[in-house]
Amino acid sequence: MPWNRPLIIGMILLLLALGWLRTNSGETELVRSSRLLMGTIVEIVVSGQNTGQLEAAVDDAFAEMARLDRLLSRHYQDSDVTRVSQGSKGGKVAPETAEVVALGLDVARRSNGAFDMTLGRLKTLWGIDQENPVVPTQEAIAEALEGVGFRALSLEGLNLVKQSPQLMVDLGGIAKGYIVDRAVVVLKNHGITSGAVNAGGDMYLLGQHPEHPWRIGIQHPREQGGILATVQVRDKAVVTSGDYERFFEQDGQRYHHIFDPETGSPARGCQSVTVITDSVALGDALATALFVLGPQKGLELLADYPGSEGLIVAADGTLHPSQGWADYQSAP
Amino acid sequence: MKTPFQVMTGGDWLIVLTLLGVSVAGIAWLATAPKGTRVVVTSGDQTCFVADLDQPQSVDLDGPLGKTRLVIDETGAHVTSSPCPRKICISMGPARHSGDLLACVPNRIMVRIESPSGEDAPYDLLSR
Repeated sequence: MPWNRPLIIGMILLLLALGWLRTNSGETELVRSSRLLMGTIVEIVVSGQNTGQLEAAVDDAFAEMARLDRLLSRHYQDSDVTRVSQGSKGGKVAPETAEVVALGLDVARRSNGAFDMTLGRLKTLWGIDQENPVVPTQEAIAEALEGVGFRALSLEGLNLVKQSPQLMVDLGGIAKGYIVDRAVVVLKNHGITSGAVNAGGDMYLLGQHPEHPWRIGIQHPREQGGILATVQVRDKAVVTSGDYERFFEQDGQRYHHIFDPETGSPARGCQSVTVITDSVALGDALATALFVLGPQKGLELLADYPGSEGLIVAADGTLHPSQGWADYQSAP
Repeated sequence: MKTPFQVMTGGDWLIVLTLLGVSVAGIAWLATAPKGTRVVVTSGDQTCFVADLDQPQSVDLDGPLGKTRLVIDETGAHVTSSPCPRKICISMGPARHSGDLLACVPNRIMVRIESPSGEDAPYDLLSR
C-alpha cells in the first residue's frame, strides 16, 4: 500500500469526526421569535437541545397569547371585557377572565383602589392611545368617574358584576402580564426550562440564560437609551411602568397613560416603577398601584407582598429601592 | 524512491481534490457569516432589511401605513419618521445593544439588534 493512503484515510476520518462532533455536541440551541401582539412587540426566547421542540413550544405560546388577547382586550368587540362593559349589569366570563379579574380585585383592595380596573371610560375620554389626545375638562373627568371605583366591580363565580351600567372594564394594567404568565405555562408544558417571554418590557425569566443568570436592563425614565440599573434574576417576573411610555404634552405639561383613580388625571408621584415578583400579572398590577401611590406608600404596599421587590423613581428623580432590591441589582 | 505524487492513484487525487473543495467551501462560509452587531428589520413576517450597526445610513421601510424611516448612526438604530398616529416608535429612542427591540405596531415594523455572540450587550433583555 502506498505510504500516503493511510494518511488520506486518516484525514477523512478526522473530518467526519469533527463534523459529527459539531452536530452532536449537545450544544444548547437558542430560538428567538418576535411578533406584534397586544399592541406591542412580544419576544419569546427559549433554549434547549432540540430545535424542533423549542420552535413548537414558541408557536404554541404565541397562539395562546393571541387567544387570550381576544378574550381580555377592550379593543375587540367580541371580547369578554367589551361584552361586560356593554352590558348593564355585567355578565358571565371565561375562567381565564375571572382569574385575572380576581387577582386584579385583590390588588385593588390591598392598594385601597390605587389599582383600578373600572377606568375604561376615563381612558377613552383622555384618548392617550388616539391620534389627537386632549386634556379633558374637569366636568368631563368628574362625569367619567361617576359610578366607578374598585368597589363597583365584583366577581361572583364566573359572573362579573357591575354596580353601575356605564362602568367600562379595562384590564390594561394586568391583562398583558397575565397573558405572559400563561405563555410561560405553555413553554413549561413543552418541557422548556430556560427561556424568557417579553411583552413590551413586561417579562418573565424562566430558569436562566444558557450562559448566566438573566441580566435585565431597566430603562432610564429620562435618558433616552440610558440604563437605570441592571438586575439578575431567574424564575421571576420583571415589570416596569413609566410616564415615558405613552404620553403627550400640552402647555409644557406631560400627560401619560397611568391614571390616578382619585383625580382622574395622570398620577404625578413617579417617573417609573420596576417590580420584581413571582408573576407578571401581579407585577403589572403592582407597578401601576405603586406608580399611583408614590414612593412612600408604594413601598409600604410592596412590603405586603413577600418575594416582591421594587425600584421607584420619584417625580423628582430620586431613587427609592425596596429593602431587598440590592439582592437583584448587579449594575451600575 | 518514488515521490508521493508518483504513487498517488486517480482515486487518491479525487479524494484530495474533494477535501480541498470542502475546505475552501468552509472557509468561504465562515467569511460570509455575520461578524458584528447587526440591525435586522422585519415587516409582517418577512425580513426586509439587514445591516451592520456600525455602518451609518438611513432607510425607508415599507409598511401598510406607508414608510417608516430608520436611521443607523453613532447612537444606534432609531426611527426618525413614521406614518403611525402616535409616533411611539420614535419616542422609543435608539436600540444599540444585542437583544434591543423597536417596533412600530401600526405599521407592522419590528427592529432587532442581533450579535452573533451577544457579548457586546450589558444585558439580555430590556424592561421599559
